[in-house]
Amino acid sequence: MSKRLMTTVVGSYPVDVDALSLIRSYYESEEVKWGYYIESAVGDMVKAGVDIISDGQTRDSFINIFIRRLEGCRVRARPEIIAPIRYKEGIILDDYKYVKNMITSTTRLKGVITGPYTLAKSCVDYYYYDTEKAAYGFAEALNEEAVRLQGLVDYISVDEPFYSQELPVYSKELLSTLLRGVDKPSVLHVCGDVSGIIPDLLDQPVDMLSHEFKASSFLLDEFKEYWDDSKMICLGVVRADSQVVETVDEIKTHIDKGLNVFGDRLVHVAPDCGLRLLPRKVAFQKLSNMVEAARLV
Amino acid sequence: MFSFTKEQKVLDIKGVRVGGQPGVNPTLIITGFFFKSKPDRGLAERYIPGLISLSGKLGNPVIPDFFIKREEYVDDVVEIIKEILPGDHPFSVDIVDPAVKVKTLERLHEEDMLSRTIYNSIHVGVTSKEQEALEEYKPEAAIVLCFNPKDNSVDGRIEVLENSAHLNDKGLLDLAKEVGVDKLLLDTAAMSPGENSGAALAAIPVLKEEYGYPVGCAIHNVVEKSTWLKNYDDVYRVVDASSNSAVPLFGGDYVISGPVEYYNTVIPLVAWFDILVSEYTEGYFGVEPSVNHPRRRLLR
Repeated sequence: MSKRLMTTVVGSYPVDVDALSLIRSYYESEEVKWGYYIESAVGDMVKAGVDIISDGQTRDSFINIFIRRLEGCRVRARPEIIAPIRYKEGIILDDYKYVKNMITSTTRLKGVITGPYTLAKSCVDYYYYDTEKAAYGFAEALNEEAVRLQGLVDYISVDEPFYSQELPVYSKELLSTLLRGVDKPSVLHVCGDVSGIIPDLLDQPVDMLSHEFKASSFLLDEFKEYWDDSKMICLGVVRADSQVVETVDEIKTHIDKGLNVFGDRLVHVAPDCGLRLLPRKVAFQKLSNMVEAARLV
Repeated sequence: MFSFTKEQKVLDIKGVRVGGQPGVNPTLIITGFFFKSKPDRGLAERYIPGLISLSGKLGNPVIPDFFIKREEYVDDVVEIIKEILPGDHPFSVDIVDPAVKVKTLERLHEEDMLSRTIYNSIHVGVTSKEQEALEEYKPEAAIVLCFNPKDNSVDGRIEVLENSAHLNDKGLLDLAKEVGVDKLLLDTAAMSPGENSGAALAAIPVLKEEYGYPVGCAIHNVVEKSTWLKNYDDVYRVVDASSNSAVPLFGGDYVISGPVEYYNTVIPLVAWFDILVSEYTEGYFGVEPSVNHPRRRLLR
């Protein structure tokens, strides 16, 4: 069992951005360099012993990272859609190339893409005035990124937190559009209370489901009711919304509960969500304890 | 040529009027001292009288911008301003280091010179100590630098005004309001070639329409970073000076024109473009130039 249980992250990791040093680069007419922040996030994940890491999503919120680089979108006071959404250039590819050059072959990579529905719901839409059309616009545009990204990573994860609030009837088709031509194992991450949509989640066109089983531990019982072994599971084992660091024993106990429900289909353990909002020391300790607990299982 | 639907603010900074609809007030020229050197009294004595005289003749107001690199330069610069810049003439202090900024505000307060001071600048790297100093020692006006380390598009400039691209806990406009500085000049943050350098110009009409504040930039910085152009000695200085013409053409209100040594070229050049803009905006939009506009000074 322990050989198959790997540790991973959901996406974001905290960084302390020094705005003054970024301003100095402006005065020196130097290009803004972000490598330091990627290195700090990736360095922590690797040092904690996480098997499958992300780029840390250090540049921005998980929404703005994508909105800034898609044609037809812009970020002002809020992210906005102002014209047809189209793919124009790599969005996170350069950061993943940077990470790939930093790590050894024993560390694996998870490419994290914010889901089209979440992007559509997070933008002020001045063009489509229609969430479904906007979501398909994002899905088509991000498909190109996903296809290019899979050459750099071992997993493609789609982050759709909005699904826990409302699952659109077209969710399967949307995800299929986004993942068209993607051969790498795919993950759908939905945080929040997904108890009302478990059968739909089990029907999504992905290989693995990832949820916040720690903060919403009742989900274990809810999943038991519908569990059909059709998906692999990434179990959330530490909270992303609390600075209290879970002990190794507590995490191990939680993993055991997950194994009772999912058996050997439980293949990954992770924090409940991105850790961006936690203090860096807390985030690191949570990851370290998670890794140790997974080794004890 | 532009005319904006948003009401345009005209700032009066110790008698220097800046802002408004294009064609009304002449372009303000903010010209640099000591950018690459220690405070140099001789340089100030050599250039300030001529600068002010030419400004009076052509109509374009000038404001000297004093770069203060180190804390130990603060006293010397303040003394130079006190002794060489006449009467109540406004000036700006251009400082990167937050500790130097705080010290300068304190000194200017002690010398009762804050009412002549343009603070250059408020930006996303403003520290809490700097904010406290700004609240305590309020300058007459401030330049707000719209540099967004996350996004060099025109929209990125708006984003930092609205929310500092989340690099600070509030947007730059709210920050300025909170410290009590309400005379603001927006700087569209000229970037190097290859980093969307044209956006600094494109942002001028966008920011004016969006906010109504006076807008300008140091577009000559783009020329300075165009290394290939330095292979053409004869042209380099021409382009450096003429780059300033783009600001009035894009509807802007002020230029940060680079080293004072070139004022003799820059001021007449900007005046010439101001006349061009004024002739059209009066004819098409019915906007009349102010009494000090170069068009009135030189053509009527």
